[in-house]
Amino acid sequence: MKGCKKCQVLLVEALYGELDPKEKDFFEKHAASCPACAAEFEALTETLRTMDERVRPEPGRDFWDGYWDRLSRRMEEERAIEAISPAPQKNLGRTWGFLPRWAFQAVAALALIVAGIFFGRTIFSPRSVSVEASLPAVGTPPVQAGEGGPVARARNYVDRSKLVLLALVNYDAASGDPYSLDLPLQKQISQQLVNQAGALKSDLKDPGQRRLRELVTDLETILLQIANLEAKNDFEAVDIVKQGVESRGLLLKINLSEMGGDPSAGGRGAAVEKPPAQKIKI
Amino acid sequence: MTEEKELVERLSRGDTAAFRELVETYKKKMYYIALDMVRDPADAEDISQEVFLKAFRGFKTFKRGAKLSSWLYRIAYNASIDHLRHKSLIPEAAEDAVLDSGRGGFSETRSTADPALTAETRLLRARIEKALTKVSSQERTVFLLRHYNDLMLDEIAETMQISTGSVKSYLFRCIQKLRKELAAPGTPGPLEVSDEGL
Repeated sequence: MKGCKKCQVLLVEALYGELDPKEKDFFEKHAASCPACAAEFEALTETLRTMDERVRPEPGRDFWDGYWDRLSRRMEEERAIEAISPAPQKNLGRTWGFLPRWAFQAVAALALIVAGIFFGRTIFSPRSVSVEASLPAVGTPPVQAGEGGPVARARNYVDRSKLVLLALVNYDAASGDPYSLDLPLQKQISQQLVNQAGALKSDLKDPGQRRLRELVTDLETILLQIANLEAKNDFEAVDIVKQGVESRGLLLKINLSEMGGDPSAGGRGAAVEKPPAQKIKI
Repeated sequence: MTEEKELVERLSRGDTAAFRELVETYKKKMYYIALDMVRDPADAEDISQEVFLKAFRGFKTFKRGAKLSSWLYRIAYNASIDHLRHKSLIPEAAEDAVLDSGRGGFSETRSTADPALTAETRLLRARIEKALTKVSSQERTVFLLRHYNDLMLDEIAETMQISTGSVKSYLFRCIQKLRKELAAPGTPGPLEVSDEGL
């Protein structure tokens, strides 16, 4: 029926007699012609009549008669307490009392964070120390033909190859983390090394450099396998390469050459043609 | 209104007699609002006194032109909410506590304990208290302020800092729920057990 919605909106005010004359007129006229709205109004009025039966405990006349006296006493007590001890906390409370509780919590949290950062940086941060270290790292630019002698180039070659092999050998497929080995990078370095191997081998002509030449040849073979691996997820092939490294005893040969077992191989003890040291900051 | 203006003027001058007048005028209202909110007579007296103390101390914050009663209602409402929070009992929890304890609001009042009352009256009052625990705290507060403390809808909105539309909505939903609860046949009341002894 027309007007029922408006009647519903006015229902609460109608129940408590808060309608203005115009609304009251509309409501009464609508209720007179709409049995559904009239019934709803009557049912809710009956509910309110029932709720009128609720009784709150009446404290009694003595309670009300003595109310002012008790309140005055309480005021006196509070005044006395304030006069005796103008507590600094209370003054502080008044000074900062206008601030909401969350503001104090936010300030406290911020202070903790700042303190944490300060102590963390003071106690745990590593000091900036210059360390001189020869860096046969992956990022080391390859020694080009013509730069230094063949032994120095071979040593650089072996160092870089060793890092590639270690990366593969130490990779554990069972760990389930395929990203712990940056295969595309290792492939790229291997390809570079393979490209250098031919020229390097032809430069190692001296009979005393035979073992070094053989090591470069062994490394070239295994590096070629690595360079031809599938770019992203050929981790089964990685296992095959690892087996090849172990069966050829490549890491052992590299270690022996570094220990100076073969002076011609440019072992550490030989101290010949050292590549330029790089300064790094940690 | 003129009387209230005069009272406000005297209060702003720190007139103690005016303060007493304020207390005598509003003490019952403050007490019953607090009682409806916290349901404990001793706490209600404490809160009502706190309202007057706050009003006395902070009268300078009262805005000229505002209604004195609305200002006091708001202080009473906030003091009651603070009290419930201090007791770690927000209204819903208070309702749960009442339900858990097997009591329905004021079931131990003098009127309900009166042996002269008929069993039906006692049962009805128990059902009313129980029905009031079945609505949300907001709905219940709005209903108690309107139905038992005679605050107008806009005064409730000002007191609770919500819109008048929200007040109407809460009130309507509350009455609907109460109607449903009271109409439910055989709603067990906490005094039903004691009826056997009558």
